[in-house]
Amino acid sequence: MKELFNELLKEDKAFIHVPYGNGLFDLYKSVVVSWIVIGILILLILFLTHGFKVHNISKRQAAVESFVLWIRGVTGGMLGEEGVRYQDYMATVLIFICACNMVGLFGATPPTMDLTVTVALSLMSIILVEAAGLRKKGLGKWFKGFAQPMPVIAPMNILELAIRPLSLCMRLFGNILGATVIMELIKHVMPVIFPALLSVYFDIFDGAIQAYVFVFLTSLYIKEAVE
Amino acid sequence: MLNVSILSIGCTVFNLLLLFFVAKKFLFGRVDAVLVKRMEEVDEATLEAEEAKQKALNTQKEYEDKIASVDVEKEHILSEIKKKGYVEYDRIVNDAKKKGEQILVEAKHNAEVENERAKEVYAAQLTDMVIDAASKIAATKHSSEDDKKLYDKFIIEAGVNNE
Repeated sequence: MKELFNELLKEDKAFIHVPYGNGLFDLYKSVVVSWIVIGILILLILFLTHGFKVHNISKRQAAVESFVLWIRGVTGGMLGEEGVRYQDYMATVLIFICACNMVGLFGATPPTMDLTVTVALSLMSIILVEAAGLRKKGLGKWFKGFAQPMPVIAPMNILELAIRPLSLCMRLFGNILGATVIMELIKHVMPVIFPALLSVYFDIFDGAIQAYVFVFLTSLYIKEAVE
Repeated sequence: MLNVSILSIGCTVFNLLLLFFVAKKFLFGRVDAVLVKRMEEVDEATLEAEEAKQKALNTQKEYEDKIASVDVEKEHILSEIKKKGYVEYDRIVNDAKKKGEQILVEAKHNAEVENERAKEVYAAQLTDMVIDAASKIAATKHSSEDDKKLYDKFIIEAGVNNE
């Protein structure tokens, strides 16, 4: 069991070692996997959206259209009226995290199990949240926003700048790590049938839920920032 | 396990942005283009339908007005015809009256002329008879008795001639 954990958690994450910077500039395997995921997603988008027509649409086009409208409804509903312009980005993040979480189905290690990817995602989120607030309120009002509802809690508001992305990235990372660890354990204990059933929960359901939670919280922050 | 690489974070950010731009341009962009076009077509069709409806309503109103004015026009035409009829009637009656009067005048005139002529004929006959009687008287010797006979004879003759 200990060997298993060592294998899973202490394996070398680096795909390419950069000799300087003490591993700070290594290219991780998770990035390579996410490249593959993104490549597949881009190919899928290009294939699914080619030859769109206004009339006499194909089933493929109808499916894509209803999917786009649905996912926009989901993210737009979370963002509210003021933040509806960010719905496409949130939809993209939702699709990306969902796809990343589900590569476990194909036997690969999910990129979201690596802290690097979740840190990058939450960094993007907090930058987007603050940019949305800045854009909406202007610099002066945005600064004053830290002292609301009362100046006493300004330090907490400033701390939130770090806490929010930290919680976002840790939540996603921890959940996916946990799910993957549990799946690995189950595979060791009972290699047949059981993992397939539980993988439906840990890879598909949990993956989708975590992607949704990530997008939901980011949307909530944006909604708060632009109100 | 918890170590982080700046290069990998940068790569992931770049990956995400790349995916976002591709999705924005192709997935959302293409769907939006179709939806916008479809909406435009629907708007256009709605506008056209509205126009056609308005046109139909206008035409209907026009016809209704026309039908309503047909009664008025009918009355107008009828009264016109009646008027014309009266005028014609008056003209014919007047003509007939005039002609009748003329005939009457002519007849009167003719009768007068005839009368005059008859008078002249009587006068001539009377003259002839007077001359005749005078010559007969002159030719005979006469007494008062003869005269009386003669007068009687004259009167009878005159009466016979006059019949």
